[in-house]
Amino acid sequence: MHIVCCIKQVPDTTQVKIDPETNTLIRSGVESICNPYDVVAVEAAVKLVEKYSGKITVITMGPPQADSALRECLSIGATDAVLLSDRAFAGADTLATSHTLASAVKKLSETEPVDLIICGKQAIDGDTAQTGPGVATRLGYNQFTYVSEILKVDAAKNTITVRREIEGGCQVIEGSLPALLSVELELGAPRYATLPELVRSLRQEVKVWGAKELGVPAETLGLKGSPTSVKQIFAPAPRKGGAPFDAAANKEQAVQGFLDTIFKNDSAILAEVLKSENKG
Amino acid sequence: MPKNLKGKDIADIIPDKCIGCQICIGECPTKAIEMVGGVAKIDPELCIGCGKCVDVCPANCILFEKPRKKKAAVAQKPALAEYKGVAVFVETHDGRAADVSWELMGKARELAEKLGVQVLGFLPGVSTEAIAKEAIAYGCDVVYVMDNPLLKMYLPKVYGKALVQLCNEVKPEIVLIGATPLGRDVSSVVATIIETGLTADCTGLDIDKEQRLLMMTRPTFGGNIMATILCRNHRPQMSTVRPMVMKMPKKDPARRGEIRMVEFEGYTDPLPSIIDFIPRASDVGEVDIARVPVLVVIGKGACNSQYFPMLEGLAHLLGGTVACSRPVVQAGFLPYVRQVGQTGKTVAPKLYIGVAVSGAVQHLVGMQGSERIIAINTDRHAPMMQIADYPIIGDYAQVVPQLIEGIKARVPTLKAGSAKL
Ligand SMILES: Cc1cc2nc3c(=O)[nH]c(=O)nc-3n(C[C@H](O)[C@H](O)[C@H](O)COP(=O)(O)OP(=O)(O)OC[C@H]3O[C@@H](n4cnc5c(N)ncnc54)[C@H](O)[C@@H]3O)c2cc1C
Ligand SMILES: Cc1cc2nc3c(=O)[nH]c(=O)nc-3n(C[C@H](O)[C@H](O)[C@H](O)COP(=O)(O)OP(=O)(O)OC[C@H]3O[C@@H](n4cnc5c(N)ncnc54)[C@H](O)[C@@H]3O)c2cc1C
Repeated sequence: MHIVCCIKQVPDTTQVKIDPETNTLIRSGVESICNPYDVVAVEAAVKLVEKYSGKITVITMGPPQADSALRECLSIGATDAVLLSDRAFAGADTLATSHTLASAVKKLSETEPVDLIICGKQAIDGDTAQTGPGVATRLGYNQFTYVSEILKVDAAKNTITVRREIEGGCQVIEGSLPALLSVELELGAPRYATLPELVRSLRQEVKVWGAKELGVPAETLGLKGSPTSVKQIFAPAPRKGGAPFDAAANKEQAVQGFLDTIFKNDSAILAEVLKSENKG
Repeated sequence: MPKNLKGKDIADIIPDKCIGCQICIGECPTKAIEMVGGVAKIDPELCIGCGKCVDVCPANCILFEKPRKKKAAVAQKPALAEYKGVAVFVETHDGRAADVSWELMGKARELAEKLGVQVLGFLPGVSTEAIAKEAIAYGCDVVYVMDNPLLKMYLPKVYGKALVQLCNEVKPEIVLIGATPLGRDVSSVVATIIETGLTADCTGLDIDKEQRLLMMTRPTFGGNIMATILCRNHRPQMSTVRPMVMKMPKKDPARRGEIRMVEFEGYTDPLPSIIDFIPRASDVGEVDIARVPVLVVIGKGACNSQYFPMLEGLAHLLGGTVACSRPVVQAGFLPYVRQVGQTGKTVAPKLYIGVAVSGAVQHLVGMQGSERIIAINTDRHAPMMQIADYPIIGDYAQVVPQLIEGIKARVPTLKAGSAKL
């Protein structure tokens, strides 16, 4: 089977900090990484190919340096990589992103029909989780989001069965291929790259496609093809805390002091809370 | 003001403020901007000093001082004016509406009043009569009901088609959808088919009256920054909104409204089949932490079974329950449904009592809306202690027993463990 994994290079948001003085993002020293959900997607694809044979093409839309994220995926088992890079793609929202990605999948399908697309549940920077369903809808594929386990691929029936995590429990669902999955972290961490794989990943050619190669009009791509526009960004207003009660110095006094203050300043909230308690 | 070799005034990017969104690259007419090390960089020799990048940069990180003509406000396209009303997708599970749909109904009322339009309900499903009436009681003016056996179980293609049909026939200017697993799954299908903008996981919605636009504010970068997003030239303006962020409106059973039936066009292509649904074992009989007025939130520093009954006792004493941070779930100490934060639940209790929770951003985004925050921590510098209304410095094993005693002494009617949730 031919599996396409969509991956995104993102800043490591866990390292992003806010400068308390200026209330702005401190970006210096923040690494670019492959979106953690997407490496899980690649690992899932590798396991499928080990079981059912086939190949994995990883694709990303991004600036030239997203090349390194693709190579990381090659090192953990992807077969081929395509970088979708063009100024015309820049500033895309999810509608334009899914257009670019879907066009690339169509182009890949011309030479080798695609059976399955695996995306991450969400990217840790944009955080929308909208790209996967967008790609599936444009291609008319079945979409299975929040997948926590791939149970079965039935080559004869051309179907896939997965487990999805949804409100209140999990759903087991079966649908025909081609399909698109978006995966949860629970699906399993990627393996470590072996030395030969690492070497291969660095040497292998990564194709680069722009708007021309995809054959789509530039007005439908990137900023021009995006109905949403980011008007403004700002740091979340920090909540202002109150004065501390130091129980390390004197615990009785601190706790009494705290209770005196809260019963005085927030008597309304406490009354409400205690009232609802007394009812139950 | 920097100049290039040709003597042109050029724009300059402050790398520390750039968020790497690449919008300026898409806007630049001379291809002068590139991504270098995760931030945008302007090639001074290619820059013609037009200032277009400055106008679009959401982070205000481009320095450019040359006076420019202010763009005149563009009049709304006539085609857009056809779209009227604020619609809410009413999500249902087993014949019950999701609470977030009613929270959105309350918000929709507020937005509709600012716009001078009606609140509309989109209700696809089966046997939804009671829910349609409830929608009116929560503030809906007209409920569009699509009752069809195909809509009994949620499947994205079918629900997507139903909502697209409703959008095309009713033409609302705004569509609000709860950011639940189902809502996030279907909203992107609908927006993609209609080819309109969709803003994810909003925590704030307001109207720019002058331009008649919905201003959608949402956290990104793991909660580190907030972005305000517009959808200027496409309708409807779509947004998913997190549960528990908007206030639940008061239910008024006497409220009048209209129910209109819409015939579903149907769906004929083969569809996936749902083989099984397994309720999460740990969910059975579990409370929804997002709906409890008092939460005692256990952090990694209090992940100790010896003290668990004591912390649970504190929660019960105040009519609340226990919740936790992510490491506590990872340690297998409490189930995932009890996790607060970016990858857990968003909560906004009346009292949040954080016990040995440090307050990482991913945790804070899920609880910052709490009415009052009490934090117990040995480290006075922990981020949670900075935002807490009542920071208590100390070892929780020492502080909590004192606290329980003190509360009992003040409220003699309470007995530990008297309230069960
Ligand atoms: C501050 C800010 C706020 C934004 N808010 C919105 C918004 O509300 N609505 C909107 O439509 N757009 C928004 N965008 C634009 C959005 O981030 C981009 O469209 C982005 O390319 C994809 O969205 P995402 O990061 O949310 O990815 P998600 O949709 O969360 O990603 C899900 C999966 O899709 C795949 N994927 C995503 N991007 C790529 C890619 N470039 N290449 C290959 N695979 C990919 C990956 O498998 C990923 O795991 C915003 C951008 C910024 C900077
Ligand atoms: C993509 C991503 C998503 C995430 N999502 C979430 C999420 O949804 N929710 C979440 O909570 N986290 C999330 N995290 C993890 C988050 O970054 C933090 O690691 C986590 O919140 C820390 O939990 P903690 O405060 O319990 O533990 P720690 O940070 O280890 O803090 C323990 C605290 O306990 C204090 N302490 C220790 N002993 C005592 C004592 N005896 N008495 C009093 N205080 C004591 C310490 O001073 C310290 O402040 C996410 C991370 C990532 C990368």
